[in-house]
Amino acid sequence: MARLIKTEKEVEGHYTETWVVVEEDVLEQWPAGPRAVVGQPAPRIDGHERARGEARYTADLALPGMLHTAVLRSPYARARVRRIDASRALTAPGVRAVLLPEGADLPPQHAPEAIASEPGAIGAALAERARVAPLTSEPGYEGHAVAAVAAETQAQAQAALRLLAVDWEPLEPLLDADDAVRRKSLVSEPRVNERGDLERGLAEADVVVEAVYRTQNVLHNSLETHQAICHWHGDGELDVYISTQFVWGVRDAVAERFGLERDKVRVVCEYMGGGFGSKNGPGEYTLIAAELARRTGRPVRCALDRRDESRAAGNRNATIQRLVAGARADGTLTALGGEFVNAVGWDGLSASTAGPMQLLYACDNVRTVEYGARLNTPPNAAFRAPGFVEGTFGLECLIDELAAKLDLDPLEVRRRNYATTDPVNERDYSAKGLERCYQLAERHWARRDDVRARSDGAWKRGVGLASQIWFGAGGPPSYAWLRLNAEGHATVITAMQDIGTGTRTAVAQIAAEELGFPLARVSVALGDSARGPFASISAGSSTTPSMGPAVRAAAADVKRQLLEIAAQRYAVDISTLTVEDGRIVAGGSRSWPVEEITGLLGDGQLLGKGARGPNPTGMRVLTFGVQVAEVAVDVGTGEVVVERVAAIHDVGRIVNPLGARSQVEGGIVQAIGYALSEARLLDPASGTVLTKTLDAYKLPTIADVPEIVTEFVDEPDPHLTNLGSKGLGEPPIIPTAAAIANAIRDATGADVRSLPVTREEMLRALREARERERDRLGAPAA
Amino acid sequence: MELLRPRTIAEATAALRDGAVALAGGTEVVPLLRDGPLLAARLVPLAGVVPRGVDGRRATPEAEQSHEVGAAAATAAPRPVLRVGAGTTLAELEVDPEIPAALREACRLAASPQLRSMGTLGGNLLQATRCWYWRLHSGCWLQGGDRCHAREGEHREHAFFGNGRCASAHPSDPAAALLALGATLRTDRRELPLSELYRLPRDDDRSTTTLAADELLLELEVPSPDASVYLKAMDRKRFAFALVGVAAARSGGEVRIALAGAAPIPWLLAAPDALDEATPLPGTSYKVEVARTLVDRALEAVAP
Repeated sequence: MARLIKTEKEVEGHYTETWVVVEEDVLEQWPAGPRAVVGQPAPRIDGHERARGEARYTADLALPGMLHTAVLRSPYARARVRRIDASRALTAPGVRAVLLPEGADLPPQHAPEAIASEPGAIGAALAERARVAPLTSEPGYEGHAVAAVAAETQAQAQAALRLLAVDWEPLEPLLDADDAVRRKSLVSEPRVNERGDLERGLAEADVVVEAVYRTQNVLHNSLETHQAICHWHGDGELDVYISTQFVWGVRDAVAERFGLERDKVRVVCEYMGGGFGSKNGPGEYTLIAAELARRTGRPVRCALDRRDESRAAGNRNATIQRLVAGARADGTLTALGGEFVNAVGWDGLSASTAGPMQLLYACDNVRTVEYGARLNTPPNAAFRAPGFVEGTFGLECLIDELAAKLDLDPLEVRRRNYATTDPVNERDYSAKGLERCYQLAERHWARRDDVRARSDGAWKRGVGLASQIWFGAGGPPSYAWLRLNAEGHATVITAMQDIGTGTRTAVAQIAAEELGFPLARVSVALGDSARGPFASISAGSSTTPSMGPAVRAAAADVKRQLLEIAAQRYAVDISTLTVEDGRIVAGGSRSWPVEEITGLLGDGQLLGKGARGPNPTGMRVLTFGVQVAEVAVDVGTGEVVVERVAAIHDVGRIVNPLGARSQVEGGIVQAIGYALSEARLLDPASGTVLTKTLDAYKLPTIADVPEIVTEFVDEPDPHLTNLGSKGLGEPPIIPTAAAIANAIRDATGADVRSLPVTREEMLRALREARERERDRLGAPAA
Repeated sequence: MELLRPRTIAEATAALRDGAVALAGGTEVVPLLRDGPLLAARLVPLAGVVPRGVDGRRATPEAEQSHEVGAAAATAAPRPVLRVGAGTTLAELEVDPEIPAALREACRLAASPQLRSMGTLGGNLLQATRCWYWRLHSGCWLQGGDRCHAREGEHREHAFFGNGRCASAHPSDPAAALLALGATLRTDRRELPLSELYRLPRDDDRSTTTLAADELLLELEVPSPDASVYLKAMDRKRFAFALVGVAAARSGGEVRIALAGAAPIPWLLAAPDALDEATPLPGTSYKVEVARTLVDRALEAVAP
């Protein structure tokens, strides 16, 4: 039965309490542990399609009559467009429309007859000012979209772009984050979070450590670049084919922008080549394509290329973290404090970089201040645990520096400050398996002596660890339908997206488990807002915890109907009936293939529906973990090699151990790039992006990937839905960089505090450590 | 764009004289054409024109060049010299057991397997800098502009020698190896030591090679040393240009050391302590430290 309730919705740490209509979640959780299908390793049900190149990504689509777009992007970090003369571009071969920004002083365009006289431009729309597309005549970062051209081919669009005569007035950019904070150039008000009294806590401490940590700006680099195809048809209806993490969010944003009823917009994303947080909304490219499609009456594609991805597709912003911690001699934390500067860029959310400091440890005196610096640099975008990746690097390095000063075991210091209720709001955790993670980590942590003993000449080896805390509850609303046909084949129908994480397989496993079917008897139809019910965003580690319970409920609805028919057909008491491995079983003695019942349906179908129930009220639903990294450092050249990472995470029940392991491995590889090699660099004077290609921007290669050992607590969260599963997309990337930095300290005694740990940073830290050691040894003699 | 089909060296050089651009493996020319630093109306494919493969495995007539030890010395065998066609791919060189270790390693540690399967030795020696300002076609000094953007700008990958005018670093690993090995070069019109192929760009001529626009690099002669090695520091384990590459080759008592990623051209180090004369920028002083370590290790590796 549908109920109107108040529930908490959480995405990436932001809680909002809203009224929602939910259906009750009446199903009991399955017992813990692997079951017939759920909890068993399942290769992706779409793996062959993907491997054969048959899976249709947005990048593979071409609609009949489709035009291509080239976008003029500002070459300056800050500028004003005085004037754009589009006349030559308009008459260039193949050009069908030119879109210009509001505000620029536009010269008169060609008269229509002049255009008509040019054969290549018959029917060309006049250059028009953008009405809804986000073009600007005052670009605030390099790559800011200024104008757009639609033409018959991509090459024609690009050629026409070069014919736009733009009168630029370059302006002095603001590039330094600390400077921006001083000048109060902020994207939002500074965020202060405080409990207890930081100064008192520091006064009570036996030991205080202070350090400044810096993290760099990194790029998502999704395999599939940001892109959309827009197609108007019928009576003002708009189809949007897009590489997205949120089919429904794109629908709503595009509808609002164009003043349409929401269901006039249909959004399709069948296969998707990665987003990592950067594809949560429609993006300028979609709005540009939709506007050009409206003007030309043709389908229009707008796609970023790899170079545009580095400047106009979002990024994880750089941070400066000035941190302090105080502790008693036994390791009990008395104070944690931090000033966090997020170099957000021109636009974007200032993520919760202070989140780990607020949430991870039981500490009475905590004060954090977060600034979001507004700069003339490309806007950030959510990037796989935004804020927490950056903040965990600072906090978990600080805790290790504290442990070193106290001469205590870093794992012991973490256990001494274990939070048994949420330290911010004193709520109970719905479930907290962090201590279990620490227990599982002990055997990896115990390798320290052996690893250090393998140091050889210039190569020093060491082990470090770091904890992980993050959200991942998901929440309502999310819906699924399930259809069972006469052949006994079930199809899950829901307009969610699988962004490459394997959700398609996970929800098929959940449906198969509930139905009592083998996995091969379940298909999934997804990614189309016109052909399925509302489904969760794939961000904030929320897809499986949001969709899984809804899919299970839909399957349970169909199973009930199936057993009702079977009970009548075989004249048995329905309470004795179950379905196992595709057979209807009565009391364990007799059984019949499911097709015997479904075959009676003919063209009929059994239809089920399910909805995601509410989250537990008054409880903190979080994910936890710990990673143990082993590194080797060449102290002669500053080379750092990650040799092994053990990752232990608690995300409730694991639906697909194979897919989950893959998520963890991907997160760790991405984190190794963050820790050691990736950096989007800007020219310090002009603010233009220097690392626009993948030779300059250094993602890790397969040769950089260490041995990765993945373990899960795998206990269902007893308070969270009929499934007990939380999200796993983000947790694995969170603690890795800190674990690596702590392993470097263990190996060499050097404190690396800036990411990435390049050879320059490593050699600097080694030099600093040598000087410190010299001072220490020199002191008694003095 | 026009793709020509020269059948002979003479046809190829004639086309180059008319402003066409030579195309071998395409791993460098194609991206440069796409990104703008290189303009070409016509391309001259060199496959089938420029020699490919290692052959002419002949001995040098000058027996006095031989400083070999052990059995080879006892028989006073002349020092072998390999002739390597400029069209030979890096992939072919990295697995050839007759190629000296320094060159083999330099090839193996360059780029990716796919690029090494296409990229030729000649193209590798003539590749342009990876300086991002140059690659982004920023109109820098090396491109005819009035200043080097990297000197005041972002230059962590840049030069610590010969960088007074231009801070770019030469990216070729094989060039450093061949320089240490003392390779010589044959073009369609002359023979020269490899070291004379390169020159620091000057105000009046900003090219980094002495090759004429229509001159074709055909073949290298690579002496076989007693021992040689190539060590490379990168930002990741594979598929990155050298932050610092160090090649060392010993022939008898003489050791030659050359550096990649150190100067606008491949850099011959007169002696190990010549690193004291480095002129690092603020962001490249770490490279000198890396180079010191690698030079020490390279010398140790080639020591008798």
